[in-house]
Amino acid sequence: MSEGAATYRVARGTRASRYGALVAIAGLAVLISLPFWGGRADMRTIVEIAYYLALAQLWNLLAGYAGLVSVGQQAFLGLGGYALFVFAMNAGVHPIAAIPLAGIAAALFAVPTAFIVFRLRGAYFAIGTWVVAEVYMLSFAQVSALGGGSGMSLPAAVVKGIAAGRMWRETAIYWTGIAIAVGAIALVYLLLRSRHGLALTAIRDSEEASSSLGVDNFRTKIWVYIVAAFGTGMVGALVFLTKLRISPEAGFNVVDWTANVIFIVVIGGIGTIEGPIVGVIVFFVLRELLADFGSWYLIVLGGIAVLMMLRAPQGVWGLIAERFDIRFFPVQRRLVFDPASFRFVADDREEDKRDR
Amino acid sequence: MTALIALEGVSKSFGSVRATDQFSMELEDGEALGVIGPNGAGKSTMFNIITGAVRPNAGRVLFAGRDITRAPAHERCRMGIGRSYQIPHPFANMTVFENLLVGAAFGGNRSEAACYEDCHEILGRTGLLEKANALAGALTLLERKRLEMARALATRPRVLLLDEIAGGLTEHECVALVETIKTIHRTGVSIVWIEHVVHALLSVVSRLIVINFGQKLAEGDPHQVMASAEVQEVYMGISAE
Repeated sequence: MSEGAATYRVARGTRASRYGALVAIAGLAVLISLPFWGGRADMRTIVEIAYYLALAQLWNLLAGYAGLVSVGQQAFLGLGGYALFVFAMNAGVHPIAAIPLAGIAAALFAVPTAFIVFRLRGAYFAIGTWVVAEVYMLSFAQVSALGGGSGMSLPAAVVKGIAAGRMWRETAIYWTGIAIAVGAIALVYLLLRSRHGLALTAIRDSEEASSSLGVDNFRTKIWVYIVAAFGTGMVGALVFLTKLRISPEAGFNVVDWTANVIFIVVIGGIGTIEGPIVGVIVFFVLRELLADFGSWYLIVLGGIAVLMMLRAPQGVWGLIAERFDIRFFPVQRRLVFDPASFRFVADDREEDKRDR
Repeated sequence: MTALIALEGVSKSFGSVRATDQFSMELEDGEALGVIGPNGAGKSTMFNIITGAVRPNAGRVLFAGRDITRAPAHERCRMGIGRSYQIPHPFANMTVFENLLVGAAFGGNRSEAACYEDCHEILGRTGLLEKANALAGALTLLERKRLEMARALATRPRVLLLDEIAGGLTEHECVALVETIKTIHRTGVSIVWIEHVVHALLSVVSRLIVINFGQKLAEGDPHQVMASAEVQEVYMGISAE
């Protein structure tokens, strides 16, 4: 094939992504202004949605891309929560500033944890991560300085230190929640669009081929594991800043912090950025609808998850994307062949414009 | 001159099966070497040992004089060992262009933007330019085989290991493939090619190794090797009498 003087460029955007970005910015503006016109209950629910969205994005990065099906992310959530209490109570750090520090603390714990669980593969990795999380829970219950098995509460003085007045305290926590959710989406999106994203999607599709093409699978996975722990630790700090009380049982809870999150990702669509967003909406709608049915709630949730895995393993978003061929978070690189005149059309969303 | 690739007394067993048994071979820099042998003779296992997908039980693997027996697969790729799989392993949910980018960026140790030019050129050379934006999972078997080779080329290999890439091709496609491989060889890339389509193989390689039961049965000038009674009997199923 001879294309001589043909020009090409590498396009990254899609039409849906451009309109989607506008809608997202408008939506975000509404959300940020909500404390000035919305109710306190709404704010609390949105914070909860925000932290589940962040957890779902991070778990999707682990399982959907790096193939690390962890059932033990509650280890880092609990660590982040405890770290917040320690930094705020014992070191006098401002609670909001303690959130990123809690993320760093969780990431530091992730390094030795990784050396244990990365010896295991597949199903053994899943079980191993769960066991490690249980060990963390039992260990924290032994530390009397952290309240032992019954846990501890955040003193009123620390809570008052967040901001003056209840309205501003709740607003500060609310905005932090929004920032963490947006941050998690941005992190995954930018990671996938970068050079590392190529490695991650390659590992997702075939580990054997990726290593034979020069991708260091092990190192990539370790980094993803540590980054996910960092994010999960930050979410943990936020969660227990809203709850004001932590115990080993609540902090390292496998149902709350991993089973629910897996449900969200699987229902929404694993291995896509849109999937966890759709999943978190489905999860909260179901929770509202089933709120009066007690334990039937979890049974229905489990039933739906099993049904989805059997009938539509690509999830709700997978079905939509297949049917309508849309992507709001384009991470693909498409080769576009330009007729000569096309070169003069400016499009700053299309990166890496190159001529031959 | 040191050989580009050298296997020294390499053995590998899977359970009670000896896939590779005290096997030694050398590949000179710039050479094109053909490998034939019956199914299950251990040809692909030899490739897996060279690329690091499989660790041998005994023996050494050397690349340009350096012992790489314990080096992981991704490091060997970065040193310059490219391979195409007999059964294609495409990144099914990535586009063809992205499949090449993975090899170019990581195998070639470059920034992503520095790879675009190369990948575009390789797509043209391997006849995949029209399929650049197709998902690799949607390709036909023949296109997948081409993608295997294109992706390996993108890693800027010093040696290319081709595993039964001509199987199932029409005569016309086979001729085109042979031309492509000859062009790659002319640019200085050494070739090791496992192939059942002997006439295609013989039009490229200058030396032939015959493997049977994990051992080297014959080695030398391709036409002489093919004509030897031993090879005729084992490989072609023709009695030596």
